[in-house]
Amino acid sequence: MPTIADKLAGLWPEIVMLLGAVACLAAGLSASARTRRLTPWIAGGTMALAWIFALWTGIDADHPLGLGGVVTYVKCLVLVLGLVLLLVCAGVPEGLKQTAAAEGARFDPGLSVRGEFYFFFLLSITGVMLTAGATDLVWLFLALELTSLPTYVMIAMTRDRTVAHESAVKYFFLGALSAAMFLYGFALIYGATGFTEFGPIRDAVAVSSETGLSDPSPLMLMGIVLSVLGLCFKVAAVPMHVYTADVYQGAATPVTAFLAVVPKVAGFAALIMVLHLLGLDRLPEPVLYLLGAIGVLTMTVGNVLAFVQTNLKRVMAYSSVANSGYMMLGLMAGLGVPGNALGNGPAAVLFFLLAYGFGSIGAFAVIAALAAQRSPDGADHTDATGVADDLEYDDLAGLWWRSPVLGGVMLVSMLTLVGMPPLSGFMGKFFLIGGVLNAGFYGLVIVLVINSAISAGYYLRIAMLTFFGESSSAPAVILPEGRRGPRVVGAVIAGIAGLLIGGLPGNSVVRNAREAFEPVPAPASAEPETVQAAADESTASAPAVARSQAAGLADAVPTP
Amino acid sequence: MTPTLIPWIPALAAATIGLISLFRSEWNRFAGALCAGAIGLSFVLTLWLSSSVGSGVVESGFYDWISFGSGDNAFHAGFSWFIDPLTVVMLLVITGIGGLIAVYAHGYMKGDPGYWRFFAYVALFIFAMTTLVMADNLLLLFLGWEGVGLCSYLLIGYYYEKPKAVAAAKKAFIVNRVGDFGFLLGIFLCYQHYGTLQISTMLEGARETLAAVAHGHGAVTATDVWIPFLLMVGAFGKSAQLPLYMWLPDAMAGPTPVSALVHAATMVTAGVYLIARCLPLFELSPYALPTVATVGAVTALFAATIALVSNDLKGVFAYSTVSQLGYMFLGVGCLSTDGAVFHLVTHAFFKALLFLTAGSVMHALAGQLNIQTMGGLRHKMPVTCWLMFAGCLALAGVPLTAGFFSKDLILGDALAYAVDHGSVLFFALTFLGVVTAFLTAFYTFRLWFTVFMGEEKFEMGDEHHAADDHAGDHADEADAAHDDHAHDAPHEMPWSMNGPLVVLAAGALLAGLVLHFTGGIEHAVQHSTAAVFVDAAHSQHAGDPAGDHGGEHHAYFLGVDAHVFMQVLSSILAVAGVVLAAFVFWMKREIADKAAARFDKLIRFARHEYCINEICDAAVVLPLRRLGALFYAVDRLIINSVMDLMGGLPRWLGMGVRPAQNGRIQSYGLTMVLGVALLAVLVLVATGG
Amino acid sequence: MFGAVGVLLLMAVSFGVGNIVLTHLLGPSRKGEVKGTVYESGMNPIGSARRRFNVRFYIVAMTFLLFDVEIVFFYPWAATFTKLGGPEGDGLAGMFLVRMLFFLLTSVIAFTYAWRKGVFRYD
Repeated sequence: MPTIADKLAGLWPEIVMLLGAVACLAAGLSASARTRRLTPWIAGGTMALAWIFALWTGIDADHPLGLGGVVTYVKCLVLVLGLVLLLVCAGVPEGLKQTAAAEGARFDPGLSVRGEFYFFFLLSITGVMLTAGATDLVWLFLALELTSLPTYVMIAMTRDRTVAHESAVKYFFLGALSAAMFLYGFALIYGATGFTEFGPIRDAVAVSSETGLSDPSPLMLMGIVLSVLGLCFKVAAVPMHVYTADVYQGAATPVTAFLAVVPKVAGFAALIMVLHLLGLDRLPEPVLYLLGAIGVLTMTVGNVLAFVQTNLKRVMAYSSVANSGYMMLGLMAGLGVPGNALGNGPAAVLFFLLAYGFGSIGAFAVIAALAAQRSPDGADHTDATGVADDLEYDDLAGLWWRSPVLGGVMLVSMLTLVGMPPLSGFMGKFFLIGGVLNAGFYGLVIVLVINSAISAGYYLRIAMLTFFGESSSAPAVILPEGRRGPRVVGAVIAGIAGLLIGGLPGNSVVRNAREAFEPVPAPASAEPETVQAAADESTASAPAVARSQAAGLADAVPTP
Repeated sequence: MTPTLIPWIPALAAATIGLISLFRSEWNRFAGALCAGAIGLSFVLTLWLSSSVGSGVVESGFYDWISFGSGDNAFHAGFSWFIDPLTVVMLLVITGIGGLIAVYAHGYMKGDPGYWRFFAYVALFIFAMTTLVMADNLLLLFLGWEGVGLCSYLLIGYYYEKPKAVAAAKKAFIVNRVGDFGFLLGIFLCYQHYGTLQISTMLEGARETLAAVAHGHGAVTATDVWIPFLLMVGAFGKSAQLPLYMWLPDAMAGPTPVSALVHAATMVTAGVYLIARCLPLFELSPYALPTVATVGAVTALFAATIALVSNDLKGVFAYSTVSQLGYMFLGVGCLSTDGAVFHLVTHAFFKALLFLTAGSVMHALAGQLNIQTMGGLRHKMPVTCWLMFAGCLALAGVPLTAGFFSKDLILGDALAYAVDHGSVLFFALTFLGVVTAFLTAFYTFRLWFTVFMGEEKFEMGDEHHAADDHAGDHADEADAAHDDHAHDAPHEMPWSMNGPLVVLAAGALLAGLVLHFTGGIEHAVQHSTAAVFVDAAHSQHAGDPAGDHGGEHHAYFLGVDAHVFMQVLSSILAVAGVVLAAFVFWMKREIADKAAARFDKLIRFARHEYCINEICDAAVVLPLRRLGALFYAVDRLIINSVMDLMGGLPRWLGMGVRPAQNGRIQSYGLTMVLGVALLAVLVLVATGG
Repeated sequence: MFGAVGVLLLMAVSFGVGNIVLTHLLGPSRKGEVKGTVYESGMNPIGSARRRFNVRFYIVAMTFLLFDVEIVFFYPWAATFTKLGGPEGDGLAGMFLVRMLFFLLTSVIAFTYAWRKGVFRYD
C-alpha cells in the first residue's frame, strides 16, 4: 500500500504546475506592469519545469494497471503540445478590449483577465496530467473536470463577442451532461465491483476461460459503456460530437487550437485507462462493437460534414471529430506482439495524438495569424484582437505568395493531416492501420481508408488554395507583429515538428509509445491474479524504460 | 567527410541560389560565382581525395538512407560512397570540366533573365552526377541517375518560352524513362538475385559465379543473363545509343554550356560508367558485351553519317557526341574499359571545347546555327577559330592529339580482342570503327573549313542572345567588342569566357599524350572494381593464365602489333579525312556543291536521320497514342462517372447530416442522449447475441 | 438506546414550534404586500426573470459560501485530529496537519485573489 508521500512523489510535475498557475494568477494582478507582462513567460517556464520533473520522476512501476509508461508519455506529450499552444495562445488576453481598459492610466485588477487566462491554461493542462496519472475512478473524474472547467471560462473570456459566451455556455451545459454520463458509468462500475481503485476493479473482472476475453458482469459492462460514451464528449466523438463546430467557431482561434488538442489528449488517456480495466488486449465483443460503431460513425460524420463546410474553423472542427474516429479504432486493436510497434493499437493512438496535435495546432496557428478583410460589417465580426478571425476558404487564396512561411506551415499541416508519406500524419495512420489490420478488422480498415480519401478532399482543397487560389474578394491579411504575438513562431514549430516526427525522430517517439504499454499483460487465458503478478514483475525494469523514453521524447520534439 | 562534401557543396550552392532568388533577388548576380566556386571547391576536394585513394578504395558512409528489416531480410541502402580510381577519374572530369564550363557560362548567361535559375540547375546537376559516380549501391546510383535526368530536363527546357525547347525537354525525359524503366527492372532483379544492392557485394558474387563456371562447376542462371540486358537498356537511354539516341540532338535546344556540360562531357557518359562499374555482371552473360559493342559501333557509324550532312552547327557536334559515345561502348564491349574511360576523359575535354566555341560563334551571330550561312569567320573571331581548330584536331584523331590516343586504344583493343578470339563479329565492328574514324575527321573539318575558312560571310540570327538588351550592364568591363550586336557584326568573346576554353584546348591537345605515356588511365582503371576482373577475364578468354597481366596485349594483326597497326592506320585515315575536307570545303567548294546536288535525296534522307523519328512514331508512339485514346474514353465514360458518384457521395451525406447542426443546445443535448441510448442498445443486442 | 434520539427529536421539534409560537405572540403584526411575497434572497420575485440585476450580491454570496463550507470542513478534522496523533493513531498527525494547512493555503489564495479583484468593495 503506497503511502501518501509515495503518491505525492509521483505528482511533482502537477504540483509544479499548480504552483506555477498560482504564480501566473498573482503576476497577472500585480501592481507593476512589467510583472504583468511576465505572466506568459511564467506559464512557459512552469511547463518546461514540469516537463523536467515529469522526466525526472520517471515511470511509476507500481501503476495498478501496469500503465506507468503511458502516464509519463501523456504528461510529456501534453506538456510539449502545451508549450507550442502557449506560443499560439500568448497574446490573446493582452489583445482584449477589456484588458486595454484595465491597463489604462490606473491598473484595474477587477477588469484584467490576463492572470486568469494563463492560470486556467495551466490548470487545464494539469488536469490532463492528473487524468493520465489517475489510479482511482474518483480521481479520474475530478481530473477530467479539472481539464474541462477551465476551458469553459477560457472560451467565454477571450473574445469580446457574445458568440463566445454562447459557445461557452453550450460547452458548459453539454459538458456537464457528458460528465453526468461518465460519472454514472463510474458509479455502475463501483456498484458492479465494489471498488473505485483501478487495481481491485481490474482483478474483479472475470476472464472467460473459453475465449480468453474479459467477461464482465452486465452491470460492469454498462458502466464501461456509459463511461466510454461520456468520455466521447472529451474527444469529440459521435454521439457527443454535436457541440464541436459551434464551440470551435465561437471561441477565439488560439483557444480553439487549445480545445482541439488538450481535452482530446485527456479523453484518450482516460479511455485507455477505463478500457484497460477490462484489459485492452481482451476487450469483450460488445465493447469492440461499441468502439467500432463509434469509430466508424465518428470518422464518417466528421469527414462528410467537413466536406460541405466552407468556414475554416468549422472544417477544422469536423476534422478534429474525424481524427477521433480514426483513433477510436486504434483502441480496439489490442496491444499486439511485445516489442513490435506495428500492431499495438493504443500505442499508435498515443503517437497519432502527437501527429494530429501538431497538424491541428499548425493549421489553427496560421488561421489565428490572419485576419479576414471580407466581412467589414462591424464589431460583431471581430474577435478579441479586434480582427475578423472567422475565415472562409477564400480568405486563404494565394497565402503562399503573400507569406511563404504561413503558407508553408498550412501546407505541411494539411499534408500531415491527410497522411502524406514523409510527414508525421502518415506514420500515425500507418501504425493505426497496421494495428487494426493486425487485429483482423479488415472491414474497418477499408472504412478508414475511404474516410482518409474523403478527408483529402477538403484538406487538399485548403492546401491548393494557399498556392493557386484566387479570391473573389480581398483575401485575409496577416496580422501585424504586435497583434499576432508569437503565433507565427508557434505555427513554424508545429510545422517543423509535423515534418520531423514523420522522419527519424518519429521512430523514437513510436518506440516510446510502444514501450509505454510494456510490460504487456500476460496471456489472456491466465487468471487475473497471475496477470497482475506478471504485470508487476515486468514493471520492475520500468525505470530504465523511463530513462530511455524520456531521452527519446526529448530528442524527438523540439522545444520552443 | 571529404567524399561527402564533394556532392553536397554544390547541392548547398544550389539551395543557396534558390533561397537567394526567393528572399534577396538583388543578390541573384552572385549565382554564377557561387556555382563556379562550389564546383571549384569540389574539384579541389576531389584532388585531395585522389591522393588519399591512390590505387586503393575508400569507402565512406554519410547516413543510413533506407534501413529496415533485420537479420537475413534486412535491407540497407546508405547515402554512402565507394571511391576507387575509376570514381576519382570520373569525379575529376565532372568537377574539373564542370568548373571550367561554369566559369564560361558566367559570361555566356550574363544578362539572361533566368541567370540564377541556370546556375541553380547546374549546381544541382553536379550534385546528382557526383552522387551517381560515388554511390556504393545501385539505389543511390539510381537516385543520381534520375537526378541528372531531372536536371537535364530542366536545362534543356531552360528557354521554356520556346516551344522547341519544351518539346525537346519532354522528348529527352520520355526517352530516358524508357531506358530508366529497364534500369529499374535491372535493379529489382539484382536485388532479387543478390539480396543486396551494394555494388561491391554484387560484383563479388558475380566474380565467384564466373570463377565457378570457369572451373566447370556452377552454372550461369537465366537471371544472370537478363540483368546485364536490363542495365544495358538504361545505359543506352542515358548515353544516347541506338535506338534511344534521338533525344540527344534535340537536347541542343538548351543553352550551349549545358550542351557542353550535360550532353557531351558528363551526363551522357553515365551509361559508359555504369557498364564499366558493373562489368563482371555483364561478363556473366555471353551475349551482353558483344551486344554492347555492336550497338556502340553501329551507333558510331550511324551518327557519323548524319553528322556528315547536318548543317546545324550544334547538331554536327551532337551527332558526333552520339558517335563518340558509340566508340566508348565499343570499348567496354571488347573489355577495353581503360580505352573507354580514356576516351571518356579526352572526349570530355575536346567536346566541351567544341561546344563552347560553337556557343561563342552562336553568341556572336545572335543565335545563328546554320553553317551554310557562315564563312571565313577567322578574321572576326580569331581566338575562337583556333580554339575550335584545336578541338577539331582532337576529335578528328589527328596524331598526338588527345582523341588520337584514346580512340586508337579502343580500336586497337577491339582488334586485339578480335584476333585473340578469332571473332568475325569483332573484326567487323573494328572495321566499322575505322570507317567512322575517317568520317569523323572528314565531317569535323567540313564544319571547321566551312565556318572559318573561305570568303567571309555571315547572317545574324533572329534571337539576340540577351546580351544586347543588357549591353549596358557590362559595358564597363573594358570589353567594347561585346556590345557589337548593335552593329550586327560578330565579335570575339571576352577573355573571361575564352580563358576556360584555353585550358580545355590545352587538355584537348595534350591530355592524351600525358595520359598515354604516364599510363594514368590504365593505372586507374586497372585498380578499379571493373578491371580487377578484366584481367582475369582476359586470361580466361585467352586460355592463357600467364598472359595479359600488365596491360600490353600481345595480339598481332597481319604480323604487326594490333595497337601499332591501328595507330598507323587511323593516323593515315585522320590526316586523309582532314585533307579531303580541306580540299572539298576550302579549296574547291564547287565540288561539294556538285556532290550535294547529285546526292541530294540521300543527303536529305540522312539529314532526316534516316526517318528514324518517323519509324519510331509509327511503331511506338502511334500505337501508344491509340491505346491512350482508348483508355481515355474508358476513363471518361466509366471510371470518371463512378468517381463522380463517389465524390458526390460525401457531399450528399454531409448535406443530409448538416441540419442536425442547428446550433440549438436543446437539440444537441437530445442528439447526445439519443445517441447514447442507441449505442447502449446496440451493446445490449451484442451482448445478447 | 433510541431514548436519546427521541429526546433530541423532541427538543428539535419543540425549539422550532416554540419559536414560531413565540414570534407570533410577541412580535408586532404588520402585514403588507411586500412582506407577503416569496422570499428570494432580496430579489423581487415578480416580473420578468430576464431583467438585469446587480451581480455584486451574488459575488459576495458565493464568497461567503466558499469560506462557510471550508469552515464546515474544518470541524470533522478538528474532531479527529487528536486521535490521529494518539496511541491508537497511525502517527500521521504531522501529515494531516500539513494537509489541512495546504487546504487553508488554497483558501487564503482564493481570499487574496478575491480581495485583489475588488470583490469586497461594495460600491
